Amino acid sequence: MSKILGIDLGTTFSATAIMENGEPKIIENKEGGRTTPSVVALTKNGERLVGVTARRQQITNPKNTIFSIKRLVGRRFSDPEVQKDKKFLPYEIRESNDGGVEVKMGDKWHKTAEISAMILQKLKQDAEEKIGEKITDAVITCPAYFDDSQRKATKIAGEIAGLNVKLVINEPTAAALSYGLTKIKGQQILVYDFGGGTFDVSILDICKDPDTVEVIGVGGDTHLGGDDFDQKVMNWIIDEFKKDQGIDLSKDQLALQRIKEAAEKAKIELSTTLETEINLPFVTSDSSGPKHLYLKFTRAQLENLVKDYVEKSIDLVKETLKGAKLEPKDIEEIVLVGGQTRMPAIQEAVKNLFGKEPNKSINPDEVVAAGAAIEGAIIGGETKEVLLLDATPLSLGIETMGAVSTILIPKNTIYPTAKTQIFSTAADSQTSVEVHVLQGERPIAQDNKTLGRFMLDGIPPSPRGVPQIEVSFDVDSNGILNVSAKDKATGKEQSIRIEGSIGMSKEEIEKMKKEAELHTEEDKKKKGFIEARNVADNLIYTWEKMVRDTGDKIDEGLKKEIEEKAEALKKVKDSDNIEEIKNKTTELSQIIQKAGAEVYKAAQEAQKKEKPKEKDKGKDAEEGEFKEKS
Amino acid sequence: MSKKHKKEPEYLENWKRERASFLNYKKEEAERVGEFVKFANQELILKILPILDNIYIAEKKLPGELKENLWVQGFLKIKTQILDFLENQEVKEMKCLGEKFDPNFQEALEKVEAEGKEEGIIIEEIKKGYLLHGKVIRPAKVKIAN
Repeated sequence: MSKILGIDLGTTFSATAIMENGEPKIIENKEGGRTTPSVVALTKNGERLVGVTARRQQITNPKNTIFSIKRLVGRRFSDPEVQKDKKFLPYEIRESNDGGVEVKMGDKWHKTAEISAMILQKLKQDAEEKIGEKITDAVITCPAYFDDSQRKATKIAGEIAGLNVKLVINEPTAAALSYGLTKIKGQQILVYDFGGGTFDVSILDICKDPDTVEVIGVGGDTHLGGDDFDQKVMNWIIDEFKKDQGIDLSKDQLALQRIKEAAEKAKIELSTTLETEINLPFVTSDSSGPKHLYLKFTRAQLENLVKDYVEKSIDLVKETLKGAKLEPKDIEEIVLVGGQTRMPAIQEAVKNLFGKEPNKSINPDEVVAAGAAIEGAIIGGETKEVLLLDATPLSLGIETMGAVSTILIPKNTIYPTAKTQIFSTAADSQTSVEVHVLQGERPIAQDNKTLGRFMLDGIPPSPRGVPQIEVSFDVDSNGILNVSAKDKATGKEQSIRIEGSIGMSKEEIEKMKKEAELHTEEDKKKKGFIEARNVADNLIYTWEKMVRDTGDKIDEGLKKEIEEKAEALKKVKDSDNIEEIKNKTTELSQIIQKAGAEVYKAAQEAQKKEKPKEKDKGKDAEEGEFKEKS
Repeated sequence: MSKKHKKEPEYLENWKRERASFLNYKKEEAERVGEFVKFANQELILKILPILDNIYIAEKKLPGELKENLWVQGFLKIKTQILDFLENQEVKEMKCLGEKFDPNFQEALEKVEAEGKEEGIIIEEIKKGYLLHGKVIRPAKVKIAN
């Protein structure tokens, strides 16, 4: 059976995805982009362009370049929205015979669905080229507020493009599906979708009745988007330069182009950094010479510039909630969609309103297309229910020598999963070990959350490092963690079952992650100390064992010298001077190697004397025993 | 309960395990590929190009009397160095001026009246376009004749 294509047919950009090995995968277009501009054009030569090429020639061919067709599709010409948009659209539109909207491109008038079909056709062709098979079926998304006529027009557009439209699904539902949220019945989900040109709020009710997702509230602003944010930044740059140099750059085409790119770049950068530079040398010149534009731009400044937009979006969310007779506390999950939601101030504002972390881990530009692909797989019977496997939110590990947390299952590992690692004792004749199960990212055991502890005893007394304790972590499909420890010599085993630890609340997880981030430097230092001490400790132990086992084969003078160095290391080992510990460790390690070489030489000579004829066999054994460590 | 049915939960669990380990593998693979892509030439080149753009702008705005200045000439040799580097990476600058506008390679920023020029001919290059191994990595931004 051929794949069902998931299509996010957007106002400014569209994206497609298919299910591959049970996971949605975004399909790149022919030009290599993961999203395709929803733009269609007809050139003077009668060539039809769709996507990025259509957008590149838009300025030169405004009357025949159709964009934002989604704002018109399926609407009546008399619709106030159409009348409002008409004023801003550079291409011609008119009322069709059936009262709908027609768009002029070249000499021909097209129904709006035909234009959407041209976009869909390009998406279909590019996807076919990319996956190497023919696509006949599709699931297309539309905003939750689309009425029957708009949905029907979307479906017709798909059919004109040669697609069998299996379903027209709501964009917020698709987004929720990507996060697997539609599985939990009886909850309310709010989808906050801040795209390039539109802002949509939708509230979904996942009905207890199986397989129904009801839209219980919609709101938003069809003319508010990320592009407005860019414009604000551009205006700020122009104003700053005017204040500083008295020159208005808004009339200079080249300067404007550079400012536009710099503004967008700065906005994106400020989602991950707190400060950025806008550096445009030789932006213009006057009689006094060249002028350079150099500005420092902080996240706080950006947030201040776009404060009104963020607040407006939050007001619209409140309004939508009110319309649905709901309070923020009634919302169980929030999903962020659209590139603009990468802005930390937006994430924070949403979090503050609801008092909980929104879902934001899936690329917000791709989450809708991915959801459409999932829906496609469900309809196509590829899978009855999408198997949504969860990942461990935080790392799981145990406490090891020096109170260090040793991770067995790193965070973001998809479960069910298991991991086994061999550990040993830290002291001679140690007959029991304590397995202290930890969760968290901090390198020091005590800074993490304790999930449980247990003892494994009955280990036969032996030198440290000799016993082999096999520790296994197993997270089953329900997120239940089983930890077991087994002494390989005796087969003795102990285990612990920890329930409900994996599924911590989002707030708790975020808090722990933030703490780990906050203490990164300090933790690194602490861990460095512990590691240095552990190395020193091991080295001293190695030396003492060597003296016990093979002391008679080491030259007395050398032995004394090593003894002194070992004493010196013992003295500094517990101090706070890490450099000193490291230096003394290196000194001791170097000199111990000399002793090692002597022992090795002595053993070799003894072997030669004992088995002179079995030279070759002896060589093999030596190599096995004394593997040199670099 | 039949033997077959008794085994069902076990089979399901094993199957889930397989799925999970496969997804974990994929995740690791994606991380590796991601790392690769991050450092791949194209990304790096796209970040170097704006620096070169600024050098071109500086050169264009250079007052006539300074053109022969040895200091200035020395600085402009740095541009040659960057161009050499790009050439070695198989990056080619597009030749646009005087050509017919083609949206596969260029983005039009403005249409202006230009005497004696055929409509659709590129009359000014605002930002240079580049190809990497023959593929457009950055379209040129141009002005075309009306």
